[in-house]
Amino acid sequence: MRTEPIVELQRVWKIYRMGRWRRIEVEALRGVDLAVERGEFLAVMGPSGSGKSTLLHLMGCLDRPTKGRVLFEGQDVTRLRPSALARIRNRRVGFVFQSFNLFPALTALGNVELPMIFAGMPRAERIYRAQELLSRVGLGERAKHLPSELSGGEQQRVAIARALANSPDLLLADEPTGNLDTETGRGVLSLLSEANREGVTVAVVTHDPEVAEAAGRKLGLRDGRIAGNNDA
Amino acid sequence: MLDLVRIALRGLLHRRKRSWLTIIGILIGITAVVALVSLGTSMQLAVKRSFEELGYDVMMILPGELGRSFGGPTSFGASFEIDTDALSQVEGVGELGLVHYASLYVRAGGNEGFLDVLGVSENTLSFLKADQVAGRRFAPGDRNAVILGSEVAGELGLEVGDTLEIEGRPFTVVGIYSAASRLDEDTILIPLSAMQEILGTNDVSLVFARAAAGYDVGEVAKRIEGFLYRTRGRRDLSVQTMEEVHEVVQRALGILGAFLGGIAGIALLVGGIGVMNTMYTAVLERTREIGVMKAVGARNSQIMTIFLLESGLMGLTGGALGTGIGALLNTAAVAAAKAALGARVLEYGTSWWLVLGALGFSFLVGSLAGLLPARAAAKLDPVEALRYE
Repeated sequence: MRTEPIVELQRVWKIYRMGRWRRIEVEALRGVDLAVERGEFLAVMGPSGSGKSTLLHLMGCLDRPTKGRVLFEGQDVTRLRPSALARIRNRRVGFVFQSFNLFPALTALGNVELPMIFAGMPRAERIYRAQELLSRVGLGERAKHLPSELSGGEQQRVAIARALANSPDLLLADEPTGNLDTETGRGVLSLLSEANREGVTVAVVTHDPEVAEAAGRKLGLRDGRIAGNNDA
Repeated sequence: MLDLVRIALRGLLHRRKRSWLTIIGILIGITAVVALVSLGTSMQLAVKRSFEELGYDVMMILPGELGRSFGGPTSFGASFEIDTDALSQVEGVGELGLVHYASLYVRAGGNEGFLDVLGVSENTLSFLKADQVAGRRFAPGDRNAVILGSEVAGELGLEVGDTLEIEGRPFTVVGIYSAASRLDEDTILIPLSAMQEILGTNDVSLVFARAAAGYDVGEVAKRIEGFLYRTRGRRDLSVQTMEEVHEVVQRALGILGAFLGGIAGIALLVGGIGVMNTMYTAVLERTREIGVMKAVGARNSQIMTIFLLESGLMGLTGGALGTGIGALLNTAAVAAAKAALGARVLEYGTSWWLVLGALGFSFLVGSLAGLLPARAAAKLDPVEALRYE
């Protein structure tokens, strides 16, 4: 039996207007059709400028398509209000970035707490869960450290803990190992795989063949179009 | 909400130096507002206290119409004749005090020259509230007695029992007074009869009248006005109650206070623009952070709240410190006035409503100044914000 995809893109175009008068049009995505099934581990690959990040942003309801439709759990999110999109990002999606994007003024614990604060979770519950998540990514002892006191790999693990804070259905990672050495990258990859084994759908934009190897499906992207789609 | 406050505080503490500089801008504005408004209140309270000491049951009859002057020495120029016996018969009129002012030639020891002299009836001293520091008051039958202000007594080197000459007539010092509500310490008092003999007139320049017990001052003042019009056939004298005079003075002080407050308000406005500048910079600096907040699910309203709280907290901190400094300045001004000019010139004027108002207003200025930057932060496109370097 085929279940409903967690996120589905239908003939999606994304055109950016750039330059001084916003006259220059850049077609980041050109009619992409894609369905991401629940529980999948998807790797999105392709040269830079092929539209990988844009695809990820659309899947995570961080952006809207110029043309076409995006269905999140069957719901057309193309015309939803910003607050409704924020709610989906908060409760159903977790983002991990190449450059970690932690808040320098907040401790590791504070960073993991952040999505739960925006979700309105009570403080005690929040701190308990944030501590638990940090232990899970192997940083239980470093909860009170500021990002500047952590290594790159540790920072990325904090970012993963933050992405998992509100138990999302979909974890999106944009070059999560891009700024890390091979060994540290493996540690981050194993955390993503572990989340996937526990039922979280994972989509990763990557250049890293090891990451692609771990994924269940590889999606090639070239010039804003899907160039290859093979199940491993 | 409390958590958003905590996030806002972290943001402020993270760029501590700039936050403090911005806070100082607000601080200066609020300090100026609190100090100047307090000063205005100080003066009003001091004036109110002097009038209370003088007594609100007191009226003054003087030449001219009310409103042309404040009833001070400026209206002492003209003199007039008045039938005091008939005036005493007016219903509700109690004690009367008569004053005739003149600048007379005084000689004492080696000094001589024109000095301010008041001819006063015996009762007048109770209206003037002079503090007797030596000797006695005037007694019935005193003709060549003089009471000196402590300052003039000091300057002329006179003590009780000494003599001086006024317009060639010898007078003996019977008393010395110090501070008084309506009297400078450089004035010389002689019996009204002596003054009238010197000037060869029965005129007075000012009459104090007290309302009899149980009578309303305003009513009695109206009756006196009616009496004066009936007996004189014209309205050349006016009756001022202390309440009326007090109102006129308070109104003038109120205008002064509003003017000073307005000037201070400009300083506060400059502080507010400083907050706006800092917040716009903060939004620009933290564009990427705002993008991340949006990515982890912050709603636009939550981001707006965080930035508004940051600017509001800067306003409130500046306001709290400024209010404290303003209140201290007022205390210092009261102390300085006391040291320089003697007691009772100013009263402490920082009131609770001013403190609460200043705190509320500074938070408001901070928040308003942060409104546009906060809106700009909330409206950022998340993807563009994340891409911002």
